[in-house]
Amino acid sequence: MPSAQMTTNKGKRGLRRKLIVSMLLVGAVPLAIGLIMAFFQGTKEIREVSGTSFEALATETARKIDLILRDELAKTSQITTDVNIIKALEVRRDQLADYSDEDLQALIAQETQAWTEEVPELVRRLTDNDLVTTLRRYYGGTYVDPGHPIPVITRSATRGLFITDVVGRLIATLNTDVPYAHSHTPWWQGAFKKGVGQPYIANVAFNEQLKAYTFSLSLPIMDSLRYQVVGVLHQIFDAKEFFSSHIDTIRFGETGHVMLIDGDGTVLSCPVLPTGTRLSDTQIVPLVTPMHNGWTPAPSDGHGGVRSSIIGFAPLPTTSRITQDSTGMGWHMFVWQSSDELFAPIEHLFTWVAVFGLLSIILLILLGNMAASRIVTPIRRLQEAAKLIGHGDWQEPVTIKTGDEIEELADEVNRMNRQLASTFAGLESEVETKSQEVQYLQESTAQILNSVPDPVIMLDHDQQVVYLNRASKDAFHLSDKGQLEGQSLFTLLETDSVTQQKIGKEFQAIGADSNTGETSEMSSATSHNAGALRDPLQQATDGTADSNRQEIRINGQVYRYQWFGVRARPGQNHEVGLVLRDVTEESRLQDRLIKEEKLASIGVLSAGIGHELNNPLVGVIGLGEAIQDEENPSQIKEYALSIVQHGRRMASIIRDFTGQATSQVKGQLTQVNMNEQLKQAMNGVKENFDTVSLDIQTDYQNLPDVMGNPQELNQAFVNIMTNAVQAMGDQGILKISTSVQDDEIQITIEDNGHGLSHHVLPKIFDPFFTTKQQGEGAGLGLTIARRIIQKYEGQIQVTSKEGTGTICQITFPLSNHHLSGKKEDVL
Amino acid sequence: MKAFENGRVWTAMLSLCLIMAGWATIAFSGSKNEPPQGISPEKVADYVHSIIEADRTVYTKHVVNRMKEKGIVSAAEHWEQKNALPLPAQFLQRAGRLVAERGSGIRYRLISLWPIYRRNAPATEFEREGLKAVTANPDMPHKGIVRSGKKQYYQAIYPDRAVAKACVKCHNTHPLSPKRDFALNNVMGGIVITIPLE
Repeated sequence: MPSAQMTTNKGKRGLRRKLIVSMLLVGAVPLAIGLIMAFFQGTKEIREVSGTSFEALATETARKIDLILRDELAKTSQITTDVNIIKALEVRRDQLADYSDEDLQALIAQETQAWTEEVPELVRRLTDNDLVTTLRRYYGGTYVDPGHPIPVITRSATRGLFITDVVGRLIATLNTDVPYAHSHTPWWQGAFKKGVGQPYIANVAFNEQLKAYTFSLSLPIMDSLRYQVVGVLHQIFDAKEFFSSHIDTIRFGETGHVMLIDGDGTVLSCPVLPTGTRLSDTQIVPLVTPMHNGWTPAPSDGHGGVRSSIIGFAPLPTTSRITQDSTGMGWHMFVWQSSDELFAPIEHLFTWVAVFGLLSIILLILLGNMAASRIVTPIRRLQEAAKLIGHGDWQEPVTIKTGDEIEELADEVNRMNRQLASTFAGLESEVETKSQEVQYLQESTAQILNSVPDPVIMLDHDQQVVYLNRASKDAFHLSDKGQLEGQSLFTLLETDSVTQQKIGKEFQAIGADSNTGETSEMSSATSHNAGALRDPLQQATDGTADSNRQEIRINGQVYRYQWFGVRARPGQNHEVGLVLRDVTEESRLQDRLIKEEKLASIGVLSAGIGHELNNPLVGVIGLGEAIQDEENPSQIKEYALSIVQHGRRMASIIRDFTGQATSQVKGQLTQVNMNEQLKQAMNGVKENFDTVSLDIQTDYQNLPDVMGNPQELNQAFVNIMTNAVQAMGDQGILKISTSVQDDEIQITIEDNGHGLSHHVLPKIFDPFFTTKQQGEGAGLGLTIARRIIQKYEGQIQVTSKEGTGTICQITFPLSNHHLSGKKEDVL
Repeated sequence: MKAFENGRVWTAMLSLCLIMAGWATIAFSGSKNEPPQGISPEKVADYVHSIIEADRTVYTKHVVNRMKEKGIVSAAEHWEQKNALPLPAQFLQRAGRLVAERGSGIRYRLISLWPIYRRNAPATEFEREGLKAVTANPDMPHKGIVRSGKKQYYQAIYPDRAVAKACVKCHNTHPLSPKRDFALNNVMGGIVITIPLE
């Protein structure tokens, strides 16, 4: 009972827990999925929105800076097309034509030294000449087109403005802190471009003389024909000052800003990183410096942060083309915001949603517990009521008013309770009645079995005795009812081992039949054999003839027994019954009868043999006497021949009786035609019987030849025809027909003699059975005929009606195509 | 595929430049100390112009137009960024720069009275007058000797016609183009060939 209570409590807790878990799953799982999806979708959208915005900002800022640089390039280009400057440079070019290379190198070296030593004359010549004056005017805005002055910011960012000639010598400069010879510098070589000329923008680098990070703009000055470069205008800018006013002011949020970098990741201008430094993570440089606009998630922010970030980028369109031609890398705008700041909204959102989700789950648990209680409590009451009903205890109606399916379930339980109560009441009385009937049947069965005079024994599947009737106890002298019940059958039946083995096999067989659900009864074979006529000449082939009989000997008594199976109850093993009948006296009488039958048969046989041998013997004697008186040698020879024939006839009769005919004709198989054999047999019959008054009708169809022994077949046909002729007497119709049907040779021999009664008909093939008078036949004709026919796998069937006639139908199979004879011994 | 086509174009241009540079080197190799013999600068300019015209025509018809008709690649002004083919005019100018960088002395460029970019405007009065002359009479190139400082050059200005619809379309639609009513075969500018006379 405690265990049942525990199970019940477990069930109660389990149902409530399941309900709560189900509610949690229904509420929490979608909530969690929604939170996760919202987080990832929000993150993705923020990334895309931020990236797109950053890209737009980078593009716009790049265009702005590019426009400033292009404008600066255009303004500076005006200086390169100044006619006075060009003419001055053409003159200098022509002057250098008179110098040899060695003289020119020496001159440059000398002047470089003088410039380094700040020789006043050279300094004055290079800083105070017509070209310098022109440069100052351009620099001051005097020479520019009205409305397009050089921007103040550009002028303030300019750290150097000078002109070099066709060999890179300094020829005019606004300030002295610049080198003298420039032909070896990348910017001069790039701008000179082998005399062809090309704008050149140098990357940001630290200028030792100016003590600042600078970049420069170099423009070739072409001759008046634009044929070749006659000089290079070089302008140096402080990178930070040039760009910072345009870039540093662009800020968003706390960390968001734009910056300008070159293709190598070197910062040109950034409100956070100093100019000239490299991005902290060089891996992101290829990501943000393609020659198109875009945005990308990057593994770091390039400012020392290691969190992934979103970076917008855009190349300076025109400037990058020039810088790429100049240095092989473009200039790119870079827009970035700290990841912490960028993803802060979604993280805050996620935090709040997580908090609300947690609160929702707690609320779900509380509400689920309340709901589960409302559901489980009435169910628990119903469970208790059902348990009481199951135990057969009367249960008062369960009252549940929930207004839902549980209330309906309670009503159904109450209805079921009432119906069960009424049903049980009827069942109890019916069970009592049935029990009385069963008891009556048991008692009556026992009375019936006890009244049976023969012993009846019931055995289980292990051959153990489970029941003995009164006759059994009397027969086996058992006083105590339970003395042998539960013991083995052979403890009761004291028989020899052969009989025990035989009975054991029969028990197994009947047990197997019972197991298959079939009711099988093994009838005693002796009852069948007892009615059959015995062949008194048949010799027992072994010593088991008596053991095959369904009889056993117990304590000197002979019992005939019979098995019967008893249908087993469901789930139980079968039982087998054994009925024994004491046939001691009956068996003794039967043995005596057989002995007498054998003696009578020997008498009949002796008479038959004597009769059969007497006729040819009389003929032999007569012919012998005739030979004594006969003088004609030919007649004597004829008589001798007849004597020989009669002798052979007698020998044949003796062989028939001794069963040696077959052995003598063994191996004498020839082609045989059944029609011919029938004709020869008919002729033989005609020799021995008067058939003149008989109407012999033959209908021989064409038959195939078969292999067989003609003498045997002739003897069989003679025997059958002899019976027919003898049955008709002096008058009658004998019909003989042959045909082939269904691969069989069919032979019909029909007479209209006196026929056979139905009592006689089953015995006609029995040896020595005859309906003829003494001396007319030994009763072996049909026996021999059937055995010969069966030897060739043929069949013989005789139908007869007393007073009407007899029909004998013989069939031989054609499938063998020869009648070789499988049985060596016919008789 | 585009890169391959671009490579073929540049290979063709470089081959042309090498041929012209070699030819010019041979033609003027003895002119420093000896008066020109056999071929006058005028003839040289005619020869070079024939080659320039032929090369650009082949490029325009059998490269640009054919690639565009087959939908493989088009020509565009910013061809490097757009993985496109250079415009025929850019092809000529780029080839002219390569020839100049070879240092043989002979140079040519494309100029116009209506240039999209100012750098392609006539640099001198001679060039301006020459453009006007070839525009008025396309069959007669404008030729003469010009001077830069002490240096003398032979200059010949040949008319440059709109050989393809792409040329007309580009100049008529470009936002920086000062003239937008060009028609096919119109004289849009001129090819200036400059040969130093030393």
